[in-house]
Amino acid sequence: MNNEQLLNEIREANLSYMVLVQNLVRRDRAEAIVRIGLSEEVADMIAGLTIPQMLRIAARNVLICRFRFDDEIVWSLLTDHGTQAATKSVHAAILMAGQPVAGVT
Amino acid sequence: MRSKSSPARARTKSVVGDAREVSRAVELIRMGARLQVLESEIALSRERLLRLYKEVAGVSPSKGMLPFSTDWFMTWQPNFHSSLFMNLYFGVSKATGIDRVDALVRAFRLYQEHLQLSGLPEVLSITRAWRLVKFFDAKMLDAAACTACGGRFVVHKYEPVANFICGLCNPPARAGKTRGNQGLGIAHAIVELEPKLDELVA
Repeated sequence: MNNEQLLNEIREANLSYMVLVQNLVRRDRAEAIVRIGLSEEVADMIAGLTIPQMLRIAARNVLICRFRFDDEIVWSLLTDHGTQAATKSVHAAILMAGQPVAGVT
Repeated sequence: MRSKSSPARARTKSVVGDAREVSRAVELIRMGARLQVLESEIALSRERLLRLYKEVAGVSPSKGMLPFSTDWFMTWQPNFHSSLFMNLYFGVSKATGIDRVDALVRAFRLYQEHLQLSGLPEVLSITRAWRLVKFFDAKMLDAAACTACGGRFVVHKYEPVANFICGLCNPPARAGKTRGNQGLGIAHAIVELEPKLDELVA
């Protein structure tokens, strides 16, 4: 994969992410906060972006969203498919739902 | 205590507000809420709620008192179910201008969605979820962070939680071995067998 392809993929991921946030916020703001893991202000800010703005933001050489769960326990619970998989997924969900939302400072 | 002159009841003079209350009531009834939940949260008269309930649910509301014990939330399986709901409830409550019913309905929908995805039975009903929220408001239940995983779980208020370890990090010996889960095992087996049966038929 050459550099241009990579940049294209980053742009597409950025764009899909912003469109998804917009759709979620427009459907239900409260639910969106839990699903996206962003603070209300940031979610609203993304929801208010115009298409040209989104295209400009998306066309960077870095991803604009980052991994929500920097917790090793959540990782191991999510990747484990052994016994008690259903309980483990609830455990992961509890930890994920309890994470603080990311915001701007 | 409820009273006829509470502000929530006096508010419903406007037609739009009335329609909103009706749609919220319908949503709660569809989710299986008991009449007591509606009486407490929806600003409509008892008679109208009763009629609404019969119309939506197709049956008269069940009589009798609601489960009122906080102990139910402490047993292993109900505890992690209610803890999941509680975390979701606190999450959706972060939105500005959201009231208790809205947060309850949204958190419960997310909870149901999660159970569906992981194939678990719905242990917490909407009525229990509402009781849980009320117990939090009444400072009878609290959230404590597990010292092993860091997740927040439902505990009794004023319980010593300095060394608290949740039921999922440290499950009891026979955890999850209930009759309900055996049924789940059968369901899993059926799901696994189904493609094979299709092959046999074809």
